[in-house]
Amino acid sequence: MEQNKVAEAKEFGSLLLDVGVSLLSSGASCSRIRLTMKRLSITYHYQAHISIAPKSITLTLNDEDDNAVFNGMRSTPSQGVNFKTISGISRLSWDAVENDLSFHQVRDELNRLLALPHYPRIIVLLFVSLAGAGFCFSFGGKLPEMIIAFGATFCGLFIRQEAIKQKFNPYFCVFFGSLTASLFAGAFIKAGLHINFEHAFATSVLFLIPGVPLINSFTDLIDGNILNGIVRGINALMFSMAIAFGLLIAMIIYNLN
Amino acid sequence: MDWILILSKAFWCGWAALGFGILFNVPPRTLFALWIGGAIGAFLKFTFLQMTVSVVFASFIGASAVGILSIPIAHYRHVPPMIFAIPSVIPLIPGVFAYRTMLGLIKLTGSIGTDYNAILSETVNNGAKTLFIIMSLAIGVAIPMHVMRKESAKNIRL
Repeated sequence: MEQNKVAEAKEFGSLLLDVGVSLLSSGASCSRIRLTMKRLSITYHYQAHISIAPKSITLTLNDEDDNAVFNGMRSTPSQGVNFKTISGISRLSWDAVENDLSFHQVRDELNRLLALPHYPRIIVLLFVSLAGAGFCFSFGGKLPEMIIAFGATFCGLFIRQEAIKQKFNPYFCVFFGSLTASLFAGAFIKAGLHINFEHAFATSVLFLIPGVPLINSFTDLIDGNILNGIVRGINALMFSMAIAFGLLIAMIIYNLN
Repeated sequence: MDWILILSKAFWCGWAALGFGILFNVPPRTLFALWIGGAIGAFLKFTFLQMTVSVVFASFIGASAVGILSIPIAHYRHVPPMIFAIPSVIPLIPGVFAYRTMLGLIKLTGSIGTDYNAILSETVNNGAKTLFIIMSLAIGVAIPMHVMRKESAKNIRL
């Protein structure tokens, strides 16, 4: 009986940690991670004490009599923002609360969620490029600038995806993307096209802006997760510097001011 | 007021929101809502900008509208509110101000000439705008959840 309980706690603890690190690496804010993990642990009659570090989660589970039954820590796998995982886990946690799912069912569902495919690469490239063109219009660009922004975004994102595949440092991936996009946009300016180069240049790299770390940084700070907020903010700043550096190199190459 | 310009900007910001949604791999059932959210946020921002409201406050209004909308959409599409809210406010990010700030900072590394003061004040101005707009976007998105003081959007009924 006792042994059974220990094995059960171990299994649940490891499941809970997997849920936590999947959320953390997909770009969820700290309060959401804590909320989801607590919701699940209450459902299965445990008390969870959670500490969320920038790249790992530590968990202690207590049973109903407040005895510690599980201690564990897990570091996050490196992967990009994935909102499908976040929304899937959120649904899964409600499903577990409302329908009394067993651990195994939750584990199977989690594995299924993590294996879900991304959008096809060409769709991502086309729609993000369209987003670049949209950005350009909203900053006052006209059709020629929009077309340049579309092309620059397409090339920049393509190079960034390739760099990610080659497992470069993430900041370098952004740098390569930014350099490619601004070299593309700059070529048209250098060719003597009469366009507003600020619009073309500034919007060609906007697909790289670290929107999720930036907003999560403030969300974490507001919720009192100051340390995580600072870490995410600095991370966003580093990405912005990488973008700026790519732009700068392109401007030096083309001798633009 | 130039309604056609505002509406076409809103239209394109909708596409920008949708593009970022796809980049962040949102569930397909939220894509249409994202387009609407991006368009509404941008519509409010550019409308208030034309009414000579400051760009920081106009962005804040747009972001708050997206934040408030995110709660009914979370119910309707069964997703956490942030999944709708983050891609929808990204078109409001002040790319041009950020670009000018960066350019200004690079110019400031040059030698001190007659126009150094002008560059300095422009750079500080653009930097402050960038920082405050981004802060207002984050606060605008986060506020509805905090004002309602509920931990999950499931417990909020509008």
